[in-house]
Amino acid sequence: MQIVKLPKQNLDKFIKSLSKFGQIYAPIKKDANTSLFSKIEDSSQIDLGYNRTLLPPKKYFLPPIDTMFKFSAEAGYEEMEHDLNEKSILLGVHSCDIHGLRILDLVFSGRYVDNYYFTGRKNTSIIGVSCIPDDMCFCRSMGTDFVENGFDLFLSDIDQSYLVRIATSLGDDMVRASQSLFKEVGKEEIEEHKKKSNEMQKHFKIDLELYNLPEILDLEYESKTWEEIGEKCLSCGSCSMVCPTCYCYDVFDELSLDGKTGERKRRWDSCLFKDYALVAGGTNFRSERSARVKNRYFHKHRGFVAQYGKPSCVGCGRCIQSCPAKINIVEVITKIRSDAYV
Amino acid sequence: MYNGNCASHTDNIYQPHLARIVRRLPQIKDHRLFQLRFEDSEIRQNFSYRPGQFVELSIIGTGEAPISISSSPTRPGVIELCVRRIGRMTEALFRLPLNSLVGVRGPYGNGFPLEQMRGNNLLIVAGGLGMAPLRSLLWYALDNRSLFKEVILMFGAKVAEEMLFKYELLTLLDRTDMRCLLTVDKDEEGTWPAQVGVVTKLFDLFEVDPKITYAAVCGPPIMYKFVSKKLLEKKFSKDRILMSLERKMKCGVGKCGHCMIGYKYTCIDGPIFTYWDAINLPEMI
Amino acid sequence: MSKPKIGIFGMTGCAGEQIVILNCEDELMDILKVLDIRSFHTAMSKNDEKCNLDIAFVEGALVQPEEEISLKEIRKRSRLLIALGTCAVWGGVAAMKNEVSRQRLKDIVYGSPGRIFKSIPAQPLHSFVKVDFSISGCPIEKEQFLQAVASLVHGDIPVLPKYAVCTECKINENTCLLLEKSELCLGPITVAGCNARCANCGIPCSGCRGPVEEANIASEVEILKEKGFTLGDINNQLRTFAGPAEAIQTHLAKR
Repeated sequence: MQIVKLPKQNLDKFIKSLSKFGQIYAPIKKDANTSLFSKIEDSSQIDLGYNRTLLPPKKYFLPPIDTMFKFSAEAGYEEMEHDLNEKSILLGVHSCDIHGLRILDLVFSGRYVDNYYFTGRKNTSIIGVSCIPDDMCFCRSMGTDFVENGFDLFLSDIDQSYLVRIATSLGDDMVRASQSLFKEVGKEEIEEHKKKSNEMQKHFKIDLELYNLPEILDLEYESKTWEEIGEKCLSCGSCSMVCPTCYCYDVFDELSLDGKTGERKRRWDSCLFKDYALVAGGTNFRSERSARVKNRYFHKHRGFVAQYGKPSCVGCGRCIQSCPAKINIVEVITKIRSDAYV
Repeated sequence: MYNGNCASHTDNIYQPHLARIVRRLPQIKDHRLFQLRFEDSEIRQNFSYRPGQFVELSIIGTGEAPISISSSPTRPGVIELCVRRIGRMTEALFRLPLNSLVGVRGPYGNGFPLEQMRGNNLLIVAGGLGMAPLRSLLWYALDNRSLFKEVILMFGAKVAEEMLFKYELLTLLDRTDMRCLLTVDKDEEGTWPAQVGVVTKLFDLFEVDPKITYAAVCGPPIMYKFVSKKLLEKKFSKDRILMSLERKMKCGVGKCGHCMIGYKYTCIDGPIFTYWDAINLPEMI
Repeated sequence: MSKPKIGIFGMTGCAGEQIVILNCEDELMDILKVLDIRSFHTAMSKNDEKCNLDIAFVEGALVQPEEEISLKEIRKRSRLLIALGTCAVWGGVAAMKNEVSRQRLKDIVYGSPGRIFKSIPAQPLHSFVKVDFSISGCPIEKEQFLQAVASLVHGDIPVLPKYAVCTECKINENTCLLLEKSELCLGPITVAGCNARCANCGIPCSGCRGPVEEANIASEVEILKEKGFTLGDINNQLRTFAGPAEAIQTHLAKR
């Protein structure tokens, strides 16, 4: 991989130069507590030192509410026109979130390809940025604290500069378009980068032990722990909304007042909602809250592993931060693990 | 930028295709058989499916729901959906007049493993609306009679008035190339021309070699337990008991998550599961 | 297809839902195109008091014995009865002091003139008649009303989200007022549909839309107690809009 250096004083110029590659979306500070990805009109809004955005970048590829078709009684369902050529740049994406997008890629590709998702995905370049973990990050446990692909450029903070990894031809075009802003990387910067990577390790406060987890989940399927969590869980959906790998959605027809025309839409759903597995006639395959909580963990750490060979969790810490009942995935797994060894 | 190897697809996997309701055949109370014909001749000709598969049916303005296909692929031109009026979607379907347009996409799901089943005996065990998907398999087998050894149908209802496809199935009683065992729990007037008693009793009426037989089962959730028990007593292997399961298959294409059982999607990995799958995966039956 | 005949009625309440309907200014003409409004006392001078109706929209809680009679008459006249607004669905603010006797409440609020009328503990419509569908809110959301009308005109029972306000609040990327600002927020147990209207403005959810199905009141109360709120404060907030709701009654009965 090609690596160049971008002195920090050149960052703003570089960002400005990027606008000819597409509309920039990047993290901004909403207030003292909250960062979020936002459309950038003014590059001074960008805050690359954020710890985590409230919603992950999935909101751009699987919007919370998306119109799929317009319909009428006569013409049936007609696809909404999406602008295929609108190019965007998602700047300042953390390693865990890049892994999150790659997990969503797995889900929305395969035998049936979801064009609504991939239209945006294929037209958006990704510029990653390194980060410092806080006390809710456990990406190290999930193997998502570093990323080898899934981005065009990746900026690693080495104090005075960014070390820039160039992963795609498009990323190379971006660098070449402002060649004068970049410097060659010397040996000392490589050393600095390695040192920073090692220092990053010291910041982790929590770990989720993955070893043998699918088997342990099978063994602890009947564990009382699920009921205990079910008692606390509010089914409020916060964890699912903020999760970079939760992709469940619900589909509904929204009618106009004429009762004849309207739009078919989809919106984010959560497996924790009471009616998630409810079918016509009233059978609910997961009516107990504890069963729904269990299903969420099972899907991420058992089912997804069986299906794709890795868990669908990237250790971003968003669910820990956003759960009103303080249900903490790391503690849950630790508890289940200790149940297994009692 | 996405740099995976996901091919560009021009087809929208969620696109419902217009189909016209060309017949609405009343069945038992609150059940109707809808015959649908795709408007587009190309889709009509190319729409191929296997027994056990389902479609996503759109009632324009009401929404979309999965419905199993009741017709056999051996009888192309139209597809038939047997529907019970049970919720918002099916209420809307029952309201639609003849010749109304609906949306259909599919077929989805694995369907029955016909390649494996070929050359074996076929035992079809249905309860209630479970006959809907199994009717597809039944007529497929009867229309391709040489593909299977013995064909046995077991179907039960409380009373004759509640037997789905009653008239159609009664015509099979006289066939010599299959055994059609139709039972009603009660026959107060003494007019029922076939068996009387609970459906499990039918198991005593025939002998099949379980090593060369596939059992296809569909019915209300409670039925899977007692039918599988009977079949296991008859020494059926767990892989030879095939069950069609119901879940909330909202998208049909393994994306929306609603039909997940354990770690399988009913819409892609099912709805036909073996008994082994069923006991191996949590929450399946 | 003929237009459904409808009536819009009010029991005890602020008429807020009827005002929301009248405030659908851009849509009023379209509403009239699809609905045959036979009775709407707040807005019309000529009302048909006897005809059969396809849909009755009823707002307000029942606070007086006479209202039970008129509600039952409306129910008899109408194929569908739809509860409109939190008072009709959950009892609303009129029910917040149901544990105090009516006599005492009348004395406190009205003094001696209170003796001349009868009052019963405020109850939602479903305590007296079958309710086919509920649109909660204080007041209702215009979009939900219009969506419901569209579905009803199409012949379907409407579908409204059943999840909690938190879901909408997260989608809007609001700073969590409960966790980050330690405010008394009922978002986790309150049914969505308002697009987290208050939290969008930095005001915690007061639960005005009533509880979600299977609301985990016990867990919410634990969270709020940990944040330093007294049980008194919490209970007062819980019964402000949906006191008669079973989940809230169960919680209040525990003490």
